[in-house]
Amino acid sequence: MSEIAAKAPVKPARRRLLVSRLVPYLLLQALILVATILGLRLLQPIDPDDFALSEFSLREDGVARPVTLPHFTSSRYSLADPPLYTGGFTFRRGDVASGWSVFLPRFSNAVEVAINGVVILDSRRDANANRPDRNTPQIGSIPSSLLREGANEITVRLLVWGPLKGFLDTVYVGPDAALRPAYETRTLMFVTLPVVFSAWQSILAVILAIMWLMRRREPVYGVLAVAMVLGVVQAFAPPPVPPVNTSRLAAVLLASAPIESALVVVFGVLFFGWRWPRYSMLLFAPGLVVFGVGLIGGPPLPRILFLVLGIPTVGLCLFLMACVTAAAVVRRQDAASFTLGCAVTIVLICWVHDMLSVFEIVTDERIFLSRLSYSAMLVAIGAGLTWRFARALNQVDSFAGQLVTRVREAEERLKASFAREEERARAAALASERTRLMRDLHDGLGGQLISIVALSERGHEGATITDAARAALKDLRLVIDSMDDIGGDLMLALGSWRERATAQLRPHGIALDWQVATPQGLPLHPELRPWHVIQIVRILDEAVTNAVKHAEARHIAVTIETVDEGQEPYGVIRVADDGKGFANGSAPVGNGGAADASQTARGLRNMKSRAARCGATLNLSSDSSGTRVRLQLPQIFPDSDAAVG
Amino acid sequence: MTEQGETGEAITILLVEDDAPTCWRLHDALVKAGYEVRSASTLAEARSGLGERAPRVLLTDLRLPDGHGVELIRETRRRFPDTEIMVISALGDEESVISAITVGATGYLLKDAFPTDIATTVRDLVAGHSPISASIARFIVRRTQGTPQNAAEPPPGPALNTARLTPREIDILWGIAKGFSYAEIASHLGLSRQTVPGHIKNIYRKLEVHTRGEAVFEAVQQGLIKL
Repeated sequence: MSEIAAKAPVKPARRRLLVSRLVPYLLLQALILVATILGLRLLQPIDPDDFALSEFSLREDGVARPVTLPHFTSSRYSLADPPLYTGGFTFRRGDVASGWSVFLPRFSNAVEVAINGVVILDSRRDANANRPDRNTPQIGSIPSSLLREGANEITVRLLVWGPLKGFLDTVYVGPDAALRPAYETRTLMFVTLPVVFSAWQSILAVILAIMWLMRRREPVYGVLAVAMVLGVVQAFAPPPVPPVNTSRLAAVLLASAPIESALVVVFGVLFFGWRWPRYSMLLFAPGLVVFGVGLIGGPPLPRILFLVLGIPTVGLCLFLMACVTAAAVVRRQDAASFTLGCAVTIVLICWVHDMLSVFEIVTDERIFLSRLSYSAMLVAIGAGLTWRFARALNQVDSFAGQLVTRVREAEERLKASFAREEERARAAALASERTRLMRDLHDGLGGQLISIVALSERGHEGATITDAARAALKDLRLVIDSMDDIGGDLMLALGSWRERATAQLRPHGIALDWQVATPQGLPLHPELRPWHVIQIVRILDEAVTNAVKHAEARHIAVTIETVDEGQEPYGVIRVADDGKGFANGSAPVGNGGAADASQTARGLRNMKSRAARCGATLNLSSDSSGTRVRLQLPQIFPDSDAAVG
Repeated sequence: MTEQGETGEAITILLVEDDAPTCWRLHDALVKAGYEVRSASTLAEARSGLGERAPRVLLTDLRLPDGHGVELIRETRRRFPDTEIMVISALGDEESVISAITVGATGYLLKDAFPTDIATTVRDLVAGHSPISASIARFIVRRTQGTPQNAAEPPPGPALNTARLTPREIDILWGIAKGFSYAEIASHLGLSRQTVPGHIKNIYRKLEVHTRGEAVFEAVQQGLIKL
């Protein structure tokens, strides 16, 4: 209601949209109104009018007067001295073979029927028969011994417990075979059908409750489940028949209708995705008041309150619900809102019909339809929700399917790009390896071969060329050796180097003392690359060559150890000789000469730069007792050759 | 001085090398050490040289003008099981040495080795001590570690069957690969220093694939071929 009202002063475009959507909907509702009224007319149960008894004499409060059924009596709260309808009918034994019966299509609240002064039917024994909101019919067969040929007397005691007025519809007396079908039809419509609906409701209540338990963030299901549970309790709990004084149960039953209707409004608001305004909790107030009073007060008070508070609340809720659905229709234009809207309209029409009936504006047979249509609506909503749930599951399924497909596609793409990337990386690695190899060959082998060429061209003979050639060979072996995968174990490379160095030193008569101070030698370096190995081995080569060529050493000691100072362990390689040393690379001690000095200095520079390139630190100390080179390896070897160039 | 075998006769060596200067160099070094050396520069010459009398030691290059030294090694191993075979390698790289080992060589000689080293190596070989370099040992032990299961491509380098090596032999190879001397290895492993060279010779023998049939058998044993 407020939703629509709030939309009045909006922009023309929106208003046009509103009108273009709302008007067809309202027309549809009008159509439904007509259809419902027609349907009610058509569905009205047909009674066997041949056997109708309408003319009765009513004795009420000590006064007797003739009345025509259907008849309303005044409302009353006492069961003492109920209105007594007395009538007569004619029985002819020859008419039919079967027995006769009394058929009361509608009465409220209870009846006691006597034929010729003998009670044959008391509806109070069937608790459900006395509910004013059900339209329970009653039939009682008349024992043939009671029937007299000719005129017979029938008395109907109408027991009324307010606040509604008492009502007695036309009474039918006749052959059982003629009355039974009408009775059965009414029983089917007003007794069996509600039970079926209630059973259905209870099942849906369980399903919805489970849904809500599993999906707490969707209270829609929970609200509807509660409404349905209340409805089921209301339907199946036998109402107390006065004078039994179980007012608490009566209170629960009376309060159920307004609370249910308020819950349905909550459901509607939540279902259409609106926020539930806090103050709307007031909608529950009437139901709770009826409940509270029912718990405290005596029997008549809650019933009066129910009439004054409960029933208008139900009407208000239905109206609100109609507004909510109308707003939803305007906004969403989907099947769910249309269907719900139409259902609410039908229930609203039924409620209005019932009100008119209560106020005797429409004096048909006083058949109350609200409860029945409401149950049908709830069942429809429940079915709709289940349908929505199933559809959501389907969507989830198809979404999952799509997801699987997408993931597979993405995986394929990823694989392809990974393969491409790998190919590229391999090509890059190959190229860089080639570059490295070129540089390594150029560094050592190339230079040495060129110096061999130069030496032989100048006619040099013997030792110098031999030395250069051997150096070239040694370097070639080093380069080849470095290509091998040593799995990050520098010890494997040093093993080969030891062999080569020993072979190199043997002719000079120099002993190579090899000491591995720590059991594992050097720490493993998974990131170790061939070019690191080459740099380290060349540093060691340089140290040994210096010791042989310039320092005239007799012993060279190589010590390998791992230093672990709590952090990452790192390796240290020491090369010490017992040669004459050189004064910090500037001038050799002894008879070396300028050329020797500059060569030593260059070698030293070379060693330092090689160490820097693979992240190692080189320390060199030299005096007359020998030269000591300390190469401290990095904890992690650098990935790229930073100092290239 | 003349190097002599157990029988007291001079030790005969068949040297097969096509490069003349290298051939002279090795020849001189061996003759100087007292060996009786016959030289051949082609496969055909080598075969005819073998025909006369079995040499005690065969030293052969792999690349020969009329064929591959591997054929000669295989042939010699079959015909003269007692002959010690050594491959002459320029660089001592795995490719040449391992392929020679698998057909029956039990050692290798570097072409640029110093004359004294050449003589020593041959003498050791005759005494039953096969030389092995750190890089060859490294190659073998890395093969024993195996390639990951179902690796798509076989490991690079010549095919090598390491299945028959014992853990002790593999330990010895590790020691050599890491540059330890025989004495150091022996003390680490609790062996006598003298037994290490014998172990190495055993390793060579175990790496040898004798016949095609045996190679197939080995392959089946290792699950490389499914029947």
